[in-house]
Amino acid sequence: MNSQTAPATIRGPSANLGRYFRNRTLVTGIALALFVLLPSFLGGLIYGRDPYELHLGQQLLAPSGEFPLGTDSLGRDVLALVFDGGRATLIVALPAAALAFVVGLLYGLASAIGPAWLDRVLMRTLDTFLALPSLVVLIFFASMITLTNTTLIMLIGFISWASLARLVRNEAIAQRGRDFVLAAEQLGGGRWYVARVHLIRVMAPILAVNGTFLIGDSIFALSALSFLGLGVQPPQASWGSLLDSALDIIALDPWWLLLGPGVMIFAALLASSLIGQGLNARFGARS
Amino acid sequence: MLRTLFTRGSASFLSIALLITMVFIMAHLPPGGPAFSILGVKATPASVAAINSRLGLSIPLWQQYLIWWGHLLTGNLGNSYLLNRPVAQILGSYFVNTIAFYTISILVSVAASIGLGLVQGVYYGRWPARVIDFYQLAFYALPGFLVGTVLIMFFSVRLGWLPASGIVDVRDISPGIGSFAAHLVLPVTTVALLTTASLSRYFGEAVHEELGKEYVRTAAAKGVSFSAILFKHVLRNALRPLITILGLSFPYIFTGGVTVETVFDYPGLGWLMWRSALERDYPVVIAIVLIIGVLTVLGNFLADVVNGLLDPRASYE
Repeated sequence: MNSQTAPATIRGPSANLGRYFRNRTLVTGIALALFVLLPSFLGGLIYGRDPYELHLGQQLLAPSGEFPLGTDSLGRDVLALVFDGGRATLIVALPAAALAFVVGLLYGLASAIGPAWLDRVLMRTLDTFLALPSLVVLIFFASMITLTNTTLIMLIGFISWASLARLVRNEAIAQRGRDFVLAAEQLGGGRWYVARVHLIRVMAPILAVNGTFLIGDSIFALSALSFLGLGVQPPQASWGSLLDSALDIIALDPWWLLLGPGVMIFAALLASSLIGQGLNARFGARS
Repeated sequence: MLRTLFTRGSASFLSIALLITMVFIMAHLPPGGPAFSILGVKATPASVAAINSRLGLSIPLWQQYLIWWGHLLTGNLGNSYLLNRPVAQILGSYFVNTIAFYTISILVSVAASIGLGLVQGVYYGRWPARVIDFYQLAFYALPGFLVGTVLIMFFSVRLGWLPASGIVDVRDISPGIGSFAAHLVLPVTTVALLTTASLSRYFGEAVHEELGKEYVRTAAAKGVSFSAILFKHVLRNALRPLITILGLSFPYIFTGGVTVETVFDYPGLGWLMWRSALERDYPVVIAIVLIIGVLTVLGNFLADVVNGLLDPRASYE
């Protein structure tokens, strides 16, 4: 079929995909995400070296052919540590973001479709909660619990949902007045039915954009906690704790210890920010 | 103006009361309570009961809640487990250090944001604005502890220009004000680099938007010079969103600031909270959470007041 005569509303999947690829912000973000994900989950398998093996007599070596990112103060291979630290960071941060997403979505929906008094109580609580810097709350609870992967997922998941909840609530209230939602209600759809079937569907762009931002928030939270010694616990390496151990011996100028974890944290956070912004531009969604 | 002060002020009071309640709930959320965290695996029913009665945790929760309020109203923040001294006494110097650190950091960030935002708004879409775009994008994604560590690497270790840590107390003048200033340069730069990245973006957008409005065209048609339009009219109108955003950003600035204080060993509230959390000195941790929350609410209130002064219309909204 001649593309010029095709109606504008009918597009093949490839044309749609093409529009995603022309979005430079999104493509850069996805490329960065792959740059972070592939080494973290496959790098260790391919590289094959034990990150926790102590190469005695080879402590604090600058990068070379044998150790592409050098060795740390215990003689461990930094490249292998960065791979394993990435895996340790992501297997906590990604589920934590998913948990925060679910909590934020439910809280926001409950506030939007529940009775007016519930909305007032929930939003007032949310305002108070948002007055506390998230990292301060995280440190507070991290000091009180035993830190394992599961408790860290719960901790970050149950702290990071607040900004999403506000957006979901406002968007759901804005969408609730639209004709098709009112029609569904008139036809006898219950509150949760309408929310599940109609509201969540029209909110998909906003959810996708802010869900992506949550992943960045979660990686930041875990890295900051680990940097402070209140996240992933040694001997397990993580990006945050690798930076922390580099700072301990910063006077020796070990630039290669900063390079790996620094670049990975930056790439991960930038990827989350770019993909979110790219999706936002693509959907033309408010955020 | 007075009415605004009153309504916003009473709203802030309510927020602080809710905050105090929320921190009380947070302190009682973790299963087992502080006794388990202090004793760890050594916990026995008898030792837990002993600690609970010593800390006043064995009485009903609603009584604990009322006692908590009573103590707070009389300025009693409890005793540090570790130092066995009243928390309020310990916090003093850290509080002053933190206020000094954030005041300077925020002033520097606002000044830098106004400068960058004006350039970005005026040169919108051209190369000077693109350079600033790039900075904003990169530093928006960078965490404070990473920026701080890299700055120490270059400016303390390599170049040896500035100290990386070791400040004692703002009020301790024996090393001289010069030494104090030198110690503050890197931490303030770190916080300012991050805060400016987001603040200047909002301000740049606001300047760009204002420049497109009709009053600017009218003023230009009357023959008012561009610099007069920019600095007398556009700047003032664009400042309002900047200050609103600044007020809303306080929690994020603190979140970055906590890690920056620990990177530079700057003895502020964030640093003390971190040390106390590692030592499981809960009364200190809880008191700092509360103080930082109150500071955030007061910061928002202050932003509202300044906005009311800048634009009388804000009082009627």
